[in-house]
Amino acid sequence: MIADGLFIGFAMLAVLGAVGLILFQHPMNGAMSFVITLISLAGLYALLSAKLIFALQLIVYAGAIMSLIVFIIMFLNIQPDDLPKEETKLLYIIGSMIVVLPIGLFLVKIVKSLPMSSTAIIGNNFGGVKEVGLLLFKDWLVPFEIVSILLLVSLIGAVVLAGKREANK
Amino acid sequence: MIHNYLLLSILLFCLGIVGVISRRNVFTVFMSIELMLNAANLAFITFSRMHESMNGHVLAMMVIAVAAAEAALALAVVILLHKHKSTLDTNVFSLLKG
Repeated sequence: MIADGLFIGFAMLAVLGAVGLILFQHPMNGAMSFVITLISLAGLYALLSAKLIFALQLIVYAGAIMSLIVFIIMFLNIQPDDLPKEETKLLYIIGSMIVVLPIGLFLVKIVKSLPMSSTAIIGNNFGGVKEVGLLLFKDWLVPFEIVSILLLVSLIGAVVLAGKREANK
Repeated sequence: MIHNYLLLSILLFCLGIVGVISRRNVFTVFMSIELMLNAANLAFITFSRMHESMNGHVLAMMVIAVAAAEAALALAVVILLHKHKSTLDTNVFSLLKG
């Protein structure tokens, strides 16, 4: 089936991008491989018939947030000499994998106990803009307003932190 | 079949934790946190498909908004830290050490 093949392709790309993010020395290479992860995750959302989140993932995450991060990495003009020396990186990676493994196996056991369910694309405009928007403004109105306050706070915080002038000191 | 999505989400989350623990570059640590947020998003969307209700989609939108706010603030902090210490090593950022 086509959906299974697409899932395998997107999943492998996502895992490869995440592994690249962890292993690359320079953050620019890491950011580029993380973009691959984000785009393949958008493909997985489309396979799960989440149309609006698919578009949001591409536009907001892979587009806006990652371009902000890449912009800051380029803005700081990081040379390979400026990077922290990580001689013991592989040792730390193996150690942290040993730490994380029990948690992961526990979660896998939980997932195995869940009932099976199909992933076929469902109709009825499931996950479309209108349906999710109606739900957002009916059942989730208060969390939505709280998120707007959070965005305002982070806007003011970013201006206060990064826009500081020397004369104010 | 839907279990594979959840297993992928667990794998990505664990890779994010490994990145946060093992790396010392502040940008890589930050992007590993974003990776964990994305793994949680994938789990939300998968459960949403499983129960055929769209509440998970709304939660995923909120997570994306929180990630955007976090990116704006964290990058401002990174610029300030780079201005003061001229390094990206998280081991050097120990201002709060007693």
